[in-house]
Amino acid sequence: MKKYSKLALVSVLALSVVLAGCGKKDDTSTEGNKDTASGGTKTIKIFQFKVEIAEALNKLKTDYEAEHPGIKLDIQTVGGGSDYGAALKAKFAGNDEPDIFNVGGYRDLDTWFNNLEDLSAESWVSDVTDVAKEPMTKDGKLYGQPMNVEGYGFIYNKDLFTKAGITETPKTLSQLEDAAKKLQAAGITPFENGYMEGWVLGNHNLNVAFAHQDDPNAFVKGLNDGTAKINGNPVFENWIKLLDLTVKYGQKNPLTTDYNTEVTAFANGEAAMTQQGNWTQVQIDGIKKDLNIGFLPMPIDEDAAKNDKLLVGVPNNWVVNKNSAVKPEAKEFLKWLVTSEKGKKYITDEFKFIPAFKSIEASDTIGPLGKEIQAYSKAGKTLSWEFNKFPDGAFNEFGSQMQAYVAGKSDKAKLFDGLQQTWDSLKTAK
Amino acid sequence: MQRKKMSRLIQQTVFVGPSALFFILIVLVPFLLGIYYSFTNWNGVGSSEIKWVGLDNFKQIFMHDTKFRDAFWFTVKFTVLGVVLTNVLGFVLGYLLTKPLKTRNALRTIFFMPNVIGGLLLGFIWQFIFVKGFASVGKATGLSFFSLPWLGTENTAFWAIVIVFVWQTAGYLMVIYISSFNNVPKDILEAAEIDGASRGQVLRSIIIPLVMPAVTVCLFLAISWSFKMFDLNLSLTKGGPFGSTESVAMNIYNEAFANNRLGLGTAKAVIFFAVVAIITSLQVKFTKSKEVEA
Repeated sequence: MKKYSKLALVSVLALSVVLAGCGKKDDTSTEGNKDTASGGTKTIKIFQFKVEIAEALNKLKTDYEAEHPGIKLDIQTVGGGSDYGAALKAKFAGNDEPDIFNVGGYRDLDTWFNNLEDLSAESWVSDVTDVAKEPMTKDGKLYGQPMNVEGYGFIYNKDLFTKAGITETPKTLSQLEDAAKKLQAAGITPFENGYMEGWVLGNHNLNVAFAHQDDPNAFVKGLNDGTAKINGNPVFENWIKLLDLTVKYGQKNPLTTDYNTEVTAFANGEAAMTQQGNWTQVQIDGIKKDLNIGFLPMPIDEDAAKNDKLLVGVPNNWVVNKNSAVKPEAKEFLKWLVTSEKGKKYITDEFKFIPAFKSIEASDTIGPLGKEIQAYSKAGKTLSWEFNKFPDGAFNEFGSQMQAYVAGKSDKAKLFDGLQQTWDSLKTAK
Repeated sequence: MQRKKMSRLIQQTVFVGPSALFFILIVLVPFLLGIYYSFTNWNGVGSSEIKWVGLDNFKQIFMHDTKFRDAFWFTVKFTVLGVVLTNVLGFVLGYLLTKPLKTRNALRTIFFMPNVIGGLLLGFIWQFIFVKGFASVGKATGLSFFSLPWLGTENTAFWAIVIVFVWQTAGYLMVIYISSFNNVPKDILEAAEIDGASRGQVLRSIIIPLVMPAVTVCLFLAISWSFKMFDLNLSLTKGGPFGSTESVAMNIYNEAFANNRLGLGTAKAVIFFAVVAIITSLQVKFTKSKEVEA
């Protein structure tokens, strides 16, 4: 009998090893808590999605840790639209919640709301530009620190415009068509359309129709409670003309042109215009240094003053996890980022962001695209980003429907019906 | 007697216990949880707002969700073509590469290689080939086959996925077929030869019946792989153009993680599981009945 009890012991041991393996995560976290209590090293876990700044963040980590003994930053980056959301959900489900992470405004704020710390009392709040506050504000409280400001429109190649004899930049739809005709006559492809990407169509392009509404908020609300309709909306009737124009004067096969191809072709001077934002600067610089480029508005009718605007918004926000064990430290980090000289320098020089703060000046390194966005913003000539108010995931479906339209598989009426149906079926998600 | 039983019990715990534990933790528990979530409206974030909604999700799927239906139809079409083509190609390659060829080993390696690379990477490589490579070849040669907007229309995008899938998996099935061909007893083949059987007769009456176990395995693998195909879909077309190449797996992923309707997504996954389970078990039952022994 003794023999067997030994065996049993061994098996229990084996199982406990297995279990210990499973429970390892918990062990380290309790250890972390103990450290917190005794004032040892504290680790702030940051989970962010902006791949472009991942390297600069690693540099920042070294600097920050040197300046703040006892604090360690654990920075992880997972890039790309819905994949970040899925990865973040997995982290929360797996009890590996980050202390600081990224949340987009509006709908995304609602999704994560129960996990967010109220940041209204932070010292930097009064410094945030008003436009950048709105997406993360709920019931008068601010729940996130805007990462930066970005903008898009038609990026155009000034040299090609000169070559085609265009002296005045187009500000209305008919002027844009004239310019396209002149470009075509000079043997230059007017538009490079990256319509393989769902977000280029379903977020950015479609947003033009939403942002041009007299009161975009009321329109979105109307769509949600069923009082507003896309079909028959005059702004949509105009907006579709702009989409038609880009396709008519665009390159061949827009639906097989992905983001990379689009930007590369534009940077190589294969087309004179492309619908993109200031985030392409780094990539364009990498292909052709000092390309003479700027922004054009995306006009939908003939009112020059109303149309001469770029679409500017906050792509993402830093938020603090409400249940974090290192909440004060996490808040301190965000404060450092936007108030200390070093932190500000990272935002402007290393990340090359257009800051969303009144007291931070963008650096010259943001390039011509960033500068133009800033100039438009300062002049108040901006339209808002409404796509963060779209129902969750709707942009995918919007993008598909617009692709079908571009391919000639559907017409205007079918497209508008499709957009409406998608909105109706997805809005009830919550 | 008592002792023997005890000893067996302990041995089973020691040897099967750990893997059984992992199976329960990693497969069974999530599976059961998934079934539970399919009856809720959970959005995937935070556990405080999970609400029981009964059969609402299933009603929604069967009555209203045309996209799921489209995705299912796409997946069925893809599976039929994928299973037939990969198995035919794998079988033919395996048959040829058991013949005494000089380049046999090199060719085996080459055909197996795509399988090692992995679907996600393959998708990106082929996306480049379809968009840039084919276009350049088309420009240089003027052949219309290469000038097609391969990922830009419904039909060509569908075939693009089929082509890459077949290219990726045929090599794996080839290896299974090769090992099975090698196991066909030489004495029977010799006897057939002496009896004057032609090559076709040998193949039809001896080899094929004897490699039926491999056919069972290969069909099973091909069916379940092509039904569950996701990575290739994601990296090659992302479901485009205009959502025409969205597989069921991708539809489920989007529903759960992009549309933030995890409850609805898991409901779809449960339905999907049932369908795949039924089809594969029918197939295994059917091909098993065809297996013979020498």
